[in-house]
Amino acid sequence: MPTRLLIAEDEPSILESLVFILAREGYDIATARDGEDALDRLRDPKGPPGLLILDVMLPRLDGFEVLRRVRDDPALKRVPVLMLTAKGQARDRQMAEQMGADAFIAKPFSNQDVVRQARRLAAP
Amino acid sequence: MESSFSLKIRARRRALGLTQADLAERVGISTSYFNLIERGKRTIGGALLLRIARALDLDPATLDDASERRLAAELTDVAGDPLLADLDLGGDRGPDPLASAVAALVGRHPGWARALARLHRECRDRGEVIAALSDRLGQDPFLSDIVHRMLTTIAGIRSTAEILASVEDITPDQSRRFHTTLAAESASLSDVAQALADFFDQAEAPKRAVTPGEEVDDFILVNDTHFPTLETEAERFADALRAARRGGPRRSADQAALVLDGDLITFLDRSGGLPDRTRAEPVPGLPEDALSDGIVRALEDGAPAPSRRFALARLATARALIEPIEALVAASPTLGTATARRRARGVLAAYAASALLFPYDTFRDDAERLRYDIGLMRRRYRASFEQICQRTVSLRRPGAEGVPFAMLRADPAGTLSKRFPLPNLAMPRHGSACSLWAIYGAFQTPGSVVRQLAETPSGDRFLFVARTVAKGADSFGAPARLLSVAIACDARHAHRLVYADGLDLSTRARADAVGVSCRVCPRKGCRHRAADSIVPT
Repeated sequence: MPTRLLIAEDEPSILESLVFILAREGYDIATARDGEDALDRLRDPKGPPGLLILDVMLPRLDGFEVLRRVRDDPALKRVPVLMLTAKGQARDRQMAEQMGADAFIAKPFSNQDVVRQARRLAAP
Repeated sequence: MESSFSLKIRARRRALGLTQADLAERVGISTSYFNLIERGKRTIGGALLLRIARALDLDPATLDDASERRLAAELTDVAGDPLLADLDLGGDRGPDPLASAVAALVGRHPGWARALARLHRECRDRGEVIAALSDRLGQDPFLSDIVHRMLTTIAGIRSTAEILASVEDITPDQSRRFHTTLAAESASLSDVAQALADFFDQAEAPKRAVTPGEEVDDFILVNDTHFPTLETEAERFADALRAARRGGPRRSADQAALVLDGDLITFLDRSGGLPDRTRAEPVPGLPEDALSDGIVRALEDGAPAPSRRFALARLATARALIEPIEALVAASPTLGTATARRRARGVLAAYAASALLFPYDTFRDDAERLRYDIGLMRRRYRASFEQICQRTVSLRRPGAEGVPFAMLRADPAGTLSKRFPLPNLAMPRHGSACSLWAIYGAFQTPGSVVRQLAETPSGDRFLFVARTVAKGADSFGAPARLLSVAIACDARHAHRLVYADGLDLSTRARADAVGVSCRVCPRKGCRHRAADSIVPT
């Protein structure tokens, strides 16, 4: 069974690229376009995904809030989380780490970075 | 300690090939006394200074080192810069090596000393600009949003381009979709970049090293806060205004001597009218007057009478005395920028207004008679606290001086404005002074006069007199701006002030141990210290 992976990202061009490159790696991919959608999909009856790729600046609930709820939920707290941010500032990185993100990539990123980090956190 | 004054005397004497004994004899003092003067152990002034200047064939003005003391104070500030903290700027000369080093630099290489002070000012000003821009970059919501949009768009473009460049088995459909994305995101990035360029086109960065405000400060200090031509012209103008009075109610002798609101209004009406927000044509006088919010507000109904009167006088002098004002501005080498010259014109018009409303001789005589009681002077001249303080500072006519005063004004954040120092009472050029100065204490009792006998680390004693003043109309939504205004005089003159009554002015008496600002204050164990000192403690 391929590893299931959820990508929460509201920017269509980035989402499309990420889906394309990670599907080629062999992941089974679901997508969410805002924070609430992401939480719904995380609570899939099939169980939590093997990896969550989470943008910080999401509509409705931002990435930090999604991360907080994931870490507070006994059913979800072990899901590895890779955060994406367009700010790329030290403060965001620090906050992501404190809140329990497993890795952090600043936009604009190279596809290879995302693939490498995804493989490290959850093999396809 | 050697001062630039003593260095100058010695250099000149040697250049003339004279011994100390030769010169002492010509001046009529003992060689040992002259030796003390030349080594900076004795401070001199008056007739002896003139005799020495004559014996050395020097202009006495070049020996008057007030401007050099200001330069020395500024260089001491430079040495206080944290950037230079690890440099041993004093060396190991004497008990106060920094002061000796500064005096030597100012005395031997005045040009270099000025260059250093100017560069430091520029450096510090640039630092402030950078800090302001950096704040702006960090906090500006527009920039923050645009940077986010830019990074997001670039992320999409980069990721898509990498796929097109590196994936070989891509289907024609997928390839077409990614190319479409690439074109759309590139267009979006162009829009964002254009918005950013427009933003920076509208942002203006200050270009001058020395701020126009500082140029004007220097201009006033170089003139020792006294402008004789404006005094004379203001008196002539006052005579003309009084002569124009016809009939009207009987006036007291006091009223007859002073310029009244009615005199000013008559003059302004006949010479082009008053500025007014609804008026399309500018009024004669200084071009910026018509737009000055301060002046228009002071002329509104219900504005405080002293502010209104001063605004009228300020408008009138800007018209009647524009020629002597322009002549002073044109002759000044200090005023290098158009902005500084424009501000200086305004400052000089205000000076002339002060001279018009508070005629020099009468004002000085009243001040001496009333022992500089600012409250009584306010009543006598129907003036504000600040107006009276400002005028007392300008009582420097040679041969008819009043008590020499320093003046300063602070906002509740401590920042100083209106700095008029005394030779022995330096004032920080930027930021705040020693928090122990009465000017700050006055904020604790708004509206009351606070006095303070203070001693600086060099042992000079001053009497400070401070009080808060409220600026602007007071409303719940926009409360008045509270400022503290202070004047200070050397304790040796303090007995002439009502504010010294009941104070022990002897050198044995206790005085508040104050500094100038923490960075240049050598006091040990001060419980009010807010920053480390860089001078020996």
